[in-house]
Amino acid sequence: MAQVILNNLVKTYGAVYAVNNVSLTVNDGEFVALVGPSGCGKTTTLNLIAGLIPVTSGDIVIGDRIVNDLDPKDRDIAMVFQNYALYPNKSVYKNLAFPLQMRRLSKDDIDQKVRKAAEMLDMSHLLERKPRELSGGQQQRVALGRALVRDPAVFLMDEPLSNLDAKLRVQMRSEIKRFHQDFEATIVYVTHDQLEAVTMADKMAVMSGGFLQQYDTPAQVFANPVNMFVAGFIGSPAMSLIPLQASSVDGQTVLTGAEGWVMPLSAENARKVAKASSKKVVLGARHSTIKLHKTQVPGSVPAKAYTVEPTGDVTFVQAFLSGAIVNISVPPTVDVAPDEPVWLEFDQERMHLFDGETELALKA
Amino acid sequence: MSDTPEIESATETEFARPRSRRGFDGWRWGGRLFLVMMLVYTVVPMAWMLLTSLKTGFAAMQFPPQWWPKEPTLVNYKKLLDPSNSVGQDFLHYLWNSLFVSTTTTLLAVLVAVPAAYAFSRFSFPGRRFLFFAVLLRNMFPAVIFLVPLFILMRMLGLVNTHGSLILTYLTFGLPLAIWLLKGFYDNIPIQLEQAARIDGATRFQAFIYVVMPLSTPGIIATAIYSFIGAWNEYIYAYTFLSKNEQMTLPVGIQRFFSENTTDWPGLMAASFIMSVPVVVLFLVLQRYFVRALTEGAVKH
Repeated sequence: MAQVILNNLVKTYGAVYAVNNVSLTVNDGEFVALVGPSGCGKTTTLNLIAGLIPVTSGDIVIGDRIVNDLDPKDRDIAMVFQNYALYPNKSVYKNLAFPLQMRRLSKDDIDQKVRKAAEMLDMSHLLERKPRELSGGQQQRVALGRALVRDPAVFLMDEPLSNLDAKLRVQMRSEIKRFHQDFEATIVYVTHDQLEAVTMADKMAVMSGGFLQQYDTPAQVFANPVNMFVAGFIGSPAMSLIPLQASSVDGQTVLTGAEGWVMPLSAENARKVAKASSKKVVLGARHSTIKLHKTQVPGSVPAKAYTVEPTGDVTFVQAFLSGAIVNISVPPTVDVAPDEPVWLEFDQERMHLFDGETELALKA
Repeated sequence: MSDTPEIESATETEFARPRSRRGFDGWRWGGRLFLVMMLVYTVVPMAWMLLTSLKTGFAAMQFPPQWWPKEPTLVNYKKLLDPSNSVGQDFLHYLWNSLFVSTTTTLLAVLVAVPAAYAFSRFSFPGRRFLFFAVLLRNMFPAVIFLVPLFILMRMLGLVNTHGSLILTYLTFGLPLAIWLLKGFYDNIPIQLEQAARIDGATRFQAFIYVVMPLSTPGIIATAIYSFIGAWNEYIYAYTFLSKNEQMTLPVGIQRFFSENTTDWPGLMAASFIMSVPVVVLFLVLQRYFVRALTEGAVKH
């Protein structure tokens, strides 16, 4: 196992920056998820690490070697592809044996390693089958087996679960996590599903527009998003982002909504707002930190319920506030009707404030 | 539509095709009739060829015709395949010439088309689009147009009256389509398979040999058959470029059976039948590759 370091990595296609100055370190044995929407550069980054496409500038270090100019075969990596990329004309056994054959191991060695890998992944009975005779989950497992059979320094995974159905995905998610723990494998994992990243990874790298937005543990990214993009991307339902105006009334900092209501801020939040580059401030709040009242209480602001989605455990209410849609979770016992006026109370301790111009999180 | 209850079709096994519960289906029967007519249209001449080849020269010329040979004989085939008489000598010569020219053409076409098609499919290089369409330009004109220019060219190259002239010419027909056909096959092979192979320790070339080549076998075989048949049946160039009797290929050589006074119809038909055998055998042996699903199970779509 080994570490992976990206130094100011850049990949351009003509004038387009697919990967723009990305630097991050994946420590030995760490599970890092590259996450972001389609076209954010996460897969390009993975392909750069794999060596499938040449870098424009910057360095890639695997272990203690700069691998920029090395062929994929010399980088000591293994990759699991989104479509598994199993060799369709080879049996499962031969699929697993292929990486070993390419490394010119002896027949006995190959046989031993293949059977061991098959046993670990519980597919010894499938060795003679062809990939097309396997179910999606089994194909996925063969792909995983082909990656681990030769004990690479780094595992690269490109959305390995996105072709599975929902139930199997959850199951394979825990299998991959278990695999990571058992082998202390260094894994770089690309996904567009933030839930996968949050549940599986030690650290997540949130990307957008080719830029690395934030690189931290899922808990940190969840609790302290550095900007509005990360705040809106991580978490389900997404964090509500409400554009407001900051002003000062009688020496106290307040936020004013488009409907004219006023929300006084705590001293700490007031210090944050003072750092903003303009009067425009965006309030961010997760659904669980907002309280919904059916009557006006002190500190609450008026909104209008839009949709109500009972899920059993909780009911999600979407409400209009200052031109934005706010997600609130309430106990299923609370009965809210669409278009009903409601009052929302924000938790001053757990709210996020963003600069309306730069979209960066405001810090006290 | 159907007045049978839903439950009945649900209990049928998935292999049992539900019977049409509607009455006479005009379109379906019309289609069948059309197919039968097409079949008759294509099979009857071949059957007649085979039957005639089994008759004696006298029986072949009878009128009204003998629909079924009264005294079937293999003497025509024996004569053709017997190297001790002059007809047999010539025929075997032609057969060998045709085999040589067609096989060499096929091998060269595959040898050039495989890497060319792969390059067109996988690499982007300056002039890729232009070259790709330029390759087709040759096939936009009728073959005869090139007859005289190619003859002059072959004379300058000193290739007239050699099999090399034919092989080169047939390649100019066969290669463009071979490249087009194969490119389509390579386009359908997911690039991730090669990427996986390269990560698994293969060089780009090894990935091509071990992973792409086996998957493109059906395409290569289709291409090979295509250029083989093209070369095997070609007449006008072979007729123009070759003048020596011992070099001629079958389509030209068969003319020998038309002599000044009579035509040896049974002999001609026997020769034609032998000529069609390699093509038919090739097809029968290799046709399963055409229908075999290409990369089924390789990736999930």
